[in-house]
Amino acid sequence: MGLEPMDDFEHELQQIMLRRPAPPGLKRKIMARKRANDTQKIHQRVVFWQRLAASIVLCGAVGGGVTWHNVQERRKGEAAREQVMVALRIAGHALNQMNEQLAEHNEEK
Amino acid sequence: MSHDWQPDFEKLVDEHQSMVFSLALRMTGDRGLAEEIAQDVFLELDRNLGRIESPEHALNWLRRVVMNRSADALRRQRVRGIDLWVEMDENHGAKYEPRSNPLGARLEGLLATLPSPQRAALVLRYQEGLTPEEIAATLESPLATVKSNLQRGLKLLRAKAESHLKEYIRGT
Repeated sequence: MGLEPMDDFEHELQQIMLRRPAPPGLKRKIMARKRANDTQKIHQRVVFWQRLAASIVLCGAVGGGVTWHNVQERRKGEAAREQVMVALRIAGHALNQMNEQLAEHNEEK
Repeated sequence: MSHDWQPDFEKLVDEHQSMVFSLALRMTGDRGLAEEIAQDVFLELDRNLGRIESPEHALNWLRRVVMNRSADALRRQRVRGIDLWVEMDENHGAKYEPRSNPLGARLEGLLATLPSPQRAALVLRYQEGLTPEEIAATLESPLATVKSNLQRGLKLLRAKAESHLKEYIRGT
């Protein structure tokens, strides 16, 4: 079958089944659709990169905001600790003075 | 495999548009649908151009894809309850293209009435001149199935031709 010599019927079949010419506008339509697809692909690529860039900027802004907030919090904490240290130093100094005065008073007695 | 070969899309369209259109037309029987399938097949080729390794690969790829697309289109039409080939059969092949040889048109009309697997095998055999092995590779079917479809299709076509064409010859 198939590779055996063809009979008249098969020859007739082969004759009528020659390739038909493509419609005249087929190539033009294919090329037009290809161009449209290419343009769409470029547009999609541009939109992708725009979205990626926007996402990076957004992530950077959020990350920067969080970091800035943390730094501010740390600064506030350090300032508060400094104030406590000053207060402790003042209190310590006052206590020392009081001790000295008490010691002087005892000596006078 | 020639790795140096660079596919040129426009040239491939020029070379194969007739083959792709003819296969789609003979499988679906509808010029508009065949043209649409041919366009889709070439656009798919454009998307897969990087994977095409040689002119032979392009030719085989196009044959395989157009047959798959045509089968899908026929399946969709059947689901929608439209049988394109019924109309075609009623017109004995004259619907989609008037032919200079009316006997040939009758025979082609009869070919259109065959079940689609048999029609696919016969179209690839007699339009494209493929061997059963090549048809099996194109349709991704077992060789035995292809051989059976070729034999049954040819037998059925002969039987139809004997009864129908006798009537036609008597009528002319």
